[in-house]
Amino acid sequence: MTRNVTIWKILSYLIMITFTLLTILPLIWMFLNALKPHALIVRNPLMPPVSFYVLNFVRSWTQGHLGVYFSNSIFYSMVSTLITVFIAMGSGYALSKFSYRSSRVIYMFYTLGLLITVHSVIVPLFIMETKLGMANTRLGVIIPYIAFGLPFQIFLATTYIKGIPDAMQESAIIDGATFLQVFRKIILPVATPIISTMFIYTFLGNWNEFILVQTLTSDISIRSLPVGINSFAGGMSRDYGLQFAALTIGTVPMVIFYLIFRDKIAQGFAAGATKE
Amino acid sequence: MTFSQQKRASYWLLLSPGLLLFSAVIVFPVVFSFSLSFTTWSGYGFPKFMGFANYTKILADPIFQHSLRNNLLIVAISVFGQIPLGFLLAFMLHRRMVKGGEFYQTMIFLPITISPVVVALLWNQIFSASGLITAIVRRIYDDPRYVMTIFENRNLAILPILFVLLWMHTGTYMIIYLANLQKITPSVLEAAQIDGASESQMLGRIILPSMIGTIATTAILAISGSLKAFDLIFAMTGGGPAHFTEVIALYMYTNTFKYYKYGYGSAVSILIVLLAVGLILILQTISRRIERNYE
Repeated sequence: MTRNVTIWKILSYLIMITFTLLTILPLIWMFLNALKPHALIVRNPLMPPVSFYVLNFVRSWTQGHLGVYFSNSIFYSMVSTLITVFIAMGSGYALSKFSYRSSRVIYMFYTLGLLITVHSVIVPLFIMETKLGMANTRLGVIIPYIAFGLPFQIFLATTYIKGIPDAMQESAIIDGATFLQVFRKIILPVATPIISTMFIYTFLGNWNEFILVQTLTSDISIRSLPVGINSFAGGMSRDYGLQFAALTIGTVPMVIFYLIFRDKIAQGFAAGATKE
Repeated sequence: MTFSQQKRASYWLLLSPGLLLFSAVIVFPVVFSFSLSFTTWSGYGFPKFMGFANYTKILADPIFQHSLRNNLLIVAISVFGQIPLGFLLAFMLHRRMVKGGEFYQTMIFLPITISPVVVALLWNQIFSASGLITAIVRRIYDDPRYVMTIFENRNLAILPILFVLLWMHTGTYMIIYLANLQKITPSVLEAAQIDGASESQMLGRIILPSMIGTIATTAILAISGSLKAFDLIFAMTGGGPAHFTEVIALYMYTNTFKYYKYGYGSAVSILIVLLAVGLILILQTISRRIERNYE
């Protein structure tokens, strides 16, 4: 029996340490190479940097327009996340507390939407946006971001609001409050825990989104960070130092974001596969 | 306005923005895509009706067949790699088999925040001919002429991508299972322990049976996620060299946006949806059968 436990412990440490090293070492290696000029990386990718070649960061930031991409990413992620969460909360309230027959149909409709991926609609979406003159505009990015965020966020909101006791709403209604007032003054404040989970989860997804911006936009001035970083791969430059610097610039803010909000991110992922 | 009118108006007011956006961006395009898939269209003029011609052409295309094979391998690595490994990690953390579990958990879940594009370029630097693995092997075997050539092999080129997918997603499954393991009543496990059950027995007799529902749900996530594997491969290899690492979503993208075959591309995307639904139905039948065996 004790031998059994010991074997499990050894195995656990082995697996945990392997996985942890596999995660951290490539990132550390990336950071170290970002501090080396191209020639040194090519000569020996294993060698640690001899001096801090910060020029990589400066050049990849300016030549790669990373400043523009960065602020665009913040804009897209913030705006579409705010709208997605607000709409999802409203829909979640309507679908869970009004007990109309249409609620079930609409809820099922959104659940089916979970199966539809961006790739299955990207062709018609591109055609539609081109015909409407919305391709290559900020609005043309934000609207699909919101729509694709909705099914899962509505699922989270509906499940959560269902758990809020009906009594809270009923007493307010008896006192003469309208349903929209109940939504604003009772549901939204009570649901803050799920709102923050939804916000952080959606923000993360939007921040890392790639294919929509890649296909629906073409101007540097409105593209986002993942697309910008991708341009370091092929045509733009074969300078590995710049590439590693760009990768580091893309990674560091997200690692900080992760270390702050890890629990909320985990909740978002776990909620998707939790059986009631 | 009467009370019931006010209620009904609020209901539709709350729902309408979501329904409007969802219909415009998802429902309508799906219907549009479905109709386009029976036509040939290059973006100008009027689409020409072709019946099932696109579908038969796609299924006969060797590049599509190779993409399908790659996609099925990705499904396999998700279902038989990420899920069991994620489960094992969660089990070890839940049973507190390592000290400082919180630290390991934080580290293993970390890749989830990094953009797939960044992950792709980073691992490219590791697997490429002039990359990290080449350098390490040269050092170990003292052979300065060694070059990593896995991408030049038609059958093996997908392996590095499978590895990176495992690297990215195992932590996600670990987190999902960990959250669900916490719902098992601790007293059940304690009682089993007092009765002399080993860790392996607890895993097999108590924990696994109570997690079948969750495992089935995550398998659905894994399948639908696998078929849309795009960002990572697009940035890592672009499907190359010579379509060796092509997947269906990429095949669709190339045909549509490089060759302007909108009808053909739409048919491919319909096939992706059909494949996802098909695999999920198979999975549900299997998991229902397993659940029945345990009851």
